[in-house]
Amino acid sequence: MAFLELTNINKLFVQGHYAVDNFNLNVESGEFISFLGPSGCGKTTTLRMIAGFETPSSGSIKINRVEITNKPPNQRQIGMVFQSYALFPNMTIAGNIGFGLMLAGKKNDEIKKRLGEMLDLIHLPNYGDRYPYQLSGGQQQRVALARAIAIQPQLLLLDEPLSALDAKIRVELRSEIRRIQRELGITTIYVTHDQEEALSLSDRIVVMNSGKIEQVGTPFEIYNYPTTAFTASFVGQLNLMPITVADAASGTSTFNGIRLNTSQPTSLANGTSAKLALRPEEMNFGKVDGKNLLDGKVESITFLGSIVRTRVDIGGSMISVDLFNERKITLPQVGEQVTVNFPAHACWILE
Amino acid sequence: MKRGSIWAWLWFILGLIYFFLPLYATFDFSLRLKRGVLSFAAYENVFSDERFINGFTFSLQMSFWTIVVCLLLIVPTAYWVHLRLPRVRPVVELITLMPFVIPAVVLTFGLIQVYAKAYTFFGTSLPSVLSLDLFTLPGLINLRDAVAARAPITLAFPIVLIAAYTVLSFPYMYRAVDTGLRAMDVRTLTEAAQSLGADTPKILWYVIFPNLRAALLSGAFLTIAIVVGEFTFASLLVWPALGPYIQLIGANRAYEPAALSVISFAITWATLGLLQFFTPEQQGQIAGAR
Repeated sequence: MAFLELTNINKLFVQGHYAVDNFNLNVESGEFISFLGPSGCGKTTTLRMIAGFETPSSGSIKINRVEITNKPPNQRQIGMVFQSYALFPNMTIAGNIGFGLMLAGKKNDEIKKRLGEMLDLIHLPNYGDRYPYQLSGGQQQRVALARAIAIQPQLLLLDEPLSALDAKIRVELRSEIRRIQRELGITTIYVTHDQEEALSLSDRIVVMNSGKIEQVGTPFEIYNYPTTAFTASFVGQLNLMPITVADAASGTSTFNGIRLNTSQPTSLANGTSAKLALRPEEMNFGKVDGKNLLDGKVESITFLGSIVRTRVDIGGSMISVDLFNERKITLPQVGEQVTVNFPAHACWILE
Repeated sequence: MKRGSIWAWLWFILGLIYFFLPLYATFDFSLRLKRGVLSFAAYENVFSDERFINGFTFSLQMSFWTIVVCLLLIVPTAYWVHLRLPRVRPVVELITLMPFVIPAVVLTFGLIQVYAKAYTFFGTSLPSVLSLDLFTLPGLINLRDAVAARAPITLAFPIVLIAAYTVLSFPYMYRAVDTGLRAMDVRTLTEAAQSLGADTPKILWYVIFPNLRAALLSGAFLTIAIVVGEFTFASLLVWPALGPYIQLIGANRAYEPAALSVISFAITWATLGLLQFFTPEQQGQIAGAR
């Protein structure tokens, strides 16, 4: 039995559209799950239903085999971290972290002990007497995290906790969250629209689109073996080329008469028009025997730091080719005629 | 000095004169009770008058109870409207504006019409909570005993007056609370508290009330100012408040009303000073990302 079971969850909004449409997910104890998707895809609504702030129109939510679908949020023992930190401005950091324990009727010295542990855990010892407004955004969010886990919740929910922070703090806090989650072994659900966050943090990612689950899998599976066009294009960069299926059994297709090999068969019939998907980072310049080859003209070159993105016009299709940056890199010129190569296993036909 | 700042000072000084000149004149006049000398005799008269002390204490008590009722009524209501029913906010706002629309005289007679009629209560006739001899019975009498004794029940507590004052303070109190709630992220703070195990009364007590402190203080201060100076309700419902007393003195004396005006100004300013003193320092952003 899974630790958290979400079964046939639906959320129908007044306007008659489904914010969440038949959502099914089992989460194991100690797992770190991310809900990833564009805004309005239903990921936050799902999280809020788990927290108890929204009620599902139908379906059931169980934690540890106990039905909690209609339990009020204050009886669920679920820790929550919000994008806007939501620290109580009238309380000190100690007051904030100890609030849940105080409500639970814990004794003063027990609260104090737990508070000390929590402040150490988030690397903010001696901050107990300060007020939230005296802390930076990153520090406030760490306190919010400590406040949520101080009550030893069954489940930790994080709703885009890093979105309000600047890039450097975001990356720092990201690994901090993962470290704490591992240390405590707490089952965690993390909502984000940032694929990098989802990929770097999660045990499993749930990709969502228009209220539905598109794909559930490890970061590796989601990135390298996307099963839907949405997942493929939402996670990572993706080139799509219009092709015609030439031989379904071997997964061979043609683009402007040029044969392109893939490594997996397709269920589409021969002669069908379809799209070929390929990642920019799996492509390179130059004629290499045994790889798929396409000729085109360089349209633009963009320097992105660790990678250099080249846009190549191949028979009317704009294709991105990402090269790893290095000091001695030789780049083609804009307007230059180039040959692009990519191996058969790097591309697949979208169905 | 720049041109702009000269004009600014000019308007500022004009404003000061407009405000302080009449006050100074009143003060000066209040000192002239004894012919040819400046003295505080008028003030002595006022302070030695038992009716002033009683009226003032009574009015302060009334403002205290009004504030209590107002807080219990308005904070949870405004909170609920913010959290769950944002669409009815204009309606609630309109309701709180009623005392501006309905004149106090009309409101009082409405109250008397409704509450002064005798009606039965546990088979006993309950004459009126407005009976004029109420003040002779201190405290709330035990309803059950009175019913058992088949005695007419009178309540020696100005419930109707407090109710009227509560209505009168609605616009000020509601606006203060509303502004305070707008300044914080009510929904997220509520959800944060809920996830930590708090129910609605606890959220109100630990999270909402403390964060409304400044707003509540200013609302309470305005309520005191209104209730202490109120005349119509107290007079028509025959309660010995400060308002009717000031009116009485104003009609019969020359110098004491001026002294009273200065006293009431002093009280107002003292309250303002207290308000400043108790208002928490600017805490920057209240809960939320920028």
